[in-house]
Amino acid sequence: MGKFVGSFAASHGPLLVREWEAVPADQKDRLTKAFQTLGRKLGAAQPDVLVVVSPDHWSNFFLDNYPAVCIGVGDSSEGPPEPWMQAFPQREIPGHPEFALHLLNQSMKDGFEPSVSHRLKLDHGVCIPLWRMQLDEMPAIVPMLVNSIEPPMPSLARCLQWGTLIRNSIETYPEPLRVAVLATGGLSHSIGEKTMGAIHEDFDRETIRLFASSDKSLVHFLEKELPSRGNGSEEVRNWLVAHGAAGGRGFELVDYLPVPTVIVGCGFASWR
Amino acid sequence: MRDYWLSKLFFDLQSPALAAEFKASRDSVLARYSLSPEVRDAIGENNVPFLAQRTNAYLLRYYFFATGMKDAEFIRRLRGG
Repeated sequence: MGKFVGSFAASHGPLLVREWEAVPADQKDRLTKAFQTLGRKLGAAQPDVLVVVSPDHWSNFFLDNYPAVCIGVGDSSEGPPEPWMQAFPQREIPGHPEFALHLLNQSMKDGFEPSVSHRLKLDHGVCIPLWRMQLDEMPAIVPMLVNSIEPPMPSLARCLQWGTLIRNSIETYPEPLRVAVLATGGLSHSIGEKTMGAIHEDFDRETIRLFASSDKSLVHFLEKELPSRGNGSEEVRNWLVAHGAAGGRGFELVDYLPVPTVIVGCGFASWR
Repeated sequence: MRDYWLSKLFFDLQSPALAAEFKASRDSVLARYSLSPEVRDAIGENNVPFLAQRTNAYLLRYYFFATGMKDAEFIRRLRGG
C-alpha cells in the first residue's frame, strides 16, 4: 500500500529569480534557509513521488480551455518555459504515470472530474520551490495544477476535499510507494492589479495561525478575506489541498517574511 | 470582461520568437489578431488601465514586462498616473 509521508508548502514568484540579487542580504539568507530547511524535511520523508500542487501561469492553458484542476499523468513533464527560468537544471522532469492515473481514476470514482494531461509544462510555480529546496534526489513529480489565476476558480472547500482525496488515493495505491504533497504559491501578493506590490502581512499571519492551529474557521476566513488581499493570494488554495492531505492536523511554520523586492509574503511550512 | 484576441496576443507573446518579431514589426504581428481599433490604439499608446479592463491581470503584466516596461512605470500607469 502507498504511504503518505508529508505535506509541505512554499511560496514562489518570478522575482525570486529575476530580482534575486536585489533582495536585501538578511532576507536572502532567510529565504535560502527556509527553502533549504523545507528541502531537508522533504528529503527526510524519502518520497518516491511528490504531488506538486500549483497554479498554471498561462503556460499550458488559455481562455480556449482553462481547467479548474488538471492532473499530469505523463512519463515526464517539460521544464519551465519561461526564458528567465532556463537555468533550472532539468528540461525533462520525470513523472509517475501509475500513481497519477490511480489518482485520476480515484477522483473520477469519487465524483471529482479533473482535466488530464499527458504532457505539461511545469512553470516557475512548480520549479522555483523544487530548485531552491536543493533536494539531493528529485522524486517523481505528479503535477496537480489548480486554477487560481483566472476566475471562476474552484471553491476553497473543494480544494480541501481534493487534499482528502489525494490522501485516500495514496493509501489505496496497491504498491508500496511513499508519496508527499508540496503546495506552492501564496501568501499575499498582487499581480497586474492597481494594488500590485501590496503585501498584507496581517492577513498572512492570521492565515498561518489558522493553518497551524487547524482552526475550523480557516475556510470561512479565507472566503471572506481573499477578495481584498490581492489576486496572488488566491494561490492559498494549494495550501488547502496540502492541508486536506495532511488531515488538517496543523503545521509547523518554517518561516514567514514579507519580501517587498519580490512583492510576495513568503511562507514556508511543513504539516504535522 | 475578457477580450479574447487581446488576451491571445498577450498569451502568444510569451514566446520569445514572437516577442522578438513584435519588437521588430509590431503592425505585422497585430494584423494577425482580430483587435478592435480602440484596443489597437490602446496597445499603441500603452494605455494600461484600458487594457486592464479587457484581459487577465497576469497576462497584462507579462505583456508589459515583455515590452520592457519597468514595474514601477507599469504600476504608475495602472493606477492611472
